[in-house]
Amino acid sequence: MKLSTRYEQTSCRLVLDGLPDLSAGQASGTLGILTGFTLALAGRTELEGRREHLQALISAVLPYARHLLSGQSRPFGRDDEPVAIHPDPPGHRLELRSSQPDTPPLVLSLDDAELADLVRALDQLRLDSRVAVPFTWASPQPLRRRELRRSVPLRRRLAAPIAGIGALLVAGALVALIPPTPRGAPLGKPAGSAAAPAIPAR
Amino acid sequence: MSEASPPQNPPQGSSRPLSRRGIERLDLMLLCAEALDLNGGEAMVWLSEEMGCTDVLPNRVELWKRRCANPLRRTTRRGQLQPAEADALIRILNALADRLYPMLRSLLSSAEPPAITAQRWGLFRGRLEELLRERFNLRRGAIQRLLDAQEGPALHRELIQALALSAGPGGFDRLKASLLDAAH
Repeated sequence: MKLSTRYEQTSCRLVLDGLPDLSAGQASGTLGILTGFTLALAGRTELEGRREHLQALISAVLPYARHLLSGQSRPFGRDDEPVAIHPDPPGHRLELRSSQPDTPPLVLSLDDAELADLVRALDQLRLDSRVAVPFTWASPQPLRRRELRRSVPLRRRLAAPIAGIGALLVAGALVALIPPTPRGAPLGKPAGSAAAPAIPAR
Repeated sequence: MSEASPPQNPPQGSSRPLSRRGIERLDLMLLCAEALDLNGGEAMVWLSEEMGCTDVLPNRVELWKRRCANPLRRTTRRGQLQPAEADALIRILNALADRLYPMLRSLLSSAEPPAITAQRWGLFRGRLEELLRERFNLRRGAIQRLLDAQEGPALHRELIQALALSAGPGGFDRLKASLLDAAH
């Protein structure tokens, strides 16, 4: 029994075709064996692929979106993988590589809205209880310090400590300019009058 | 890459409280949702009740108090957000972003007519700046940058993009992991 599941967003339609894996005891409405999928992005050629292509799409796009949410745009998908995604300001470049030798990759430029649509469609797919195809994906994790590229320029990051050290040096210099008060001299009286008797002799 | 299937693996350290930066960002994203929806404040209360968060955020005053954990606010409260309170706020933001997704999409899309997009951004920025001036400490550098005519627009776009990627069924885990990032 052939099954088809569809995930639609404004600019993106993802359709999975497959069969239930009855040998694994799956219900007749569960898609357990993927025979193929189509991905239609608005205004572009409809793409077709097999399970490994869809797996590569999930493995590249979802971590890319996770990093983008933390303000870290960086490419995902190695050269030997069927799908890669790169930042391409002001948008994103999705590269789909053919397994045929000497075939140039198909490059699709996505804007932020199209990327968000694709991410939502992939989220719907991976959380759909009707799909039991064993896809793998990295669950979203907090980024470590070394994964976070500095978004604040060096000059701004150094401005506060340099201003603090500068203020300290200026304050130190000003304190050094104050003439020292002679030791033992009473306050408010000239130094020469220190020896004068406190009570004048009659 | 880890093997995962629904239900998802929670982000590592998901039981730890949000950092100061995480609280600031969460509250700023909630403020953006309010700037996009004039009834956003009411929608938060309604969504909190709808999603059964009333044990953590029983009423609008408690919701407001949790948001005031943001140190960038004019009136700020000491102390950290408890993980359950942060989860409730993230869940509310995820639902708000989902409701506002068509609007977020239209702001981010390059297919829309430029004049209409510029008008939408103008409305959003005007409302956001009004809310920032009303509720936030204008002496803080982060707020000054958001209000700056040069730096502000890029930061506003980052916030809208973050809201769009926080919407939908996978948005909660993605947003929560992002808010738990190590401090810069």
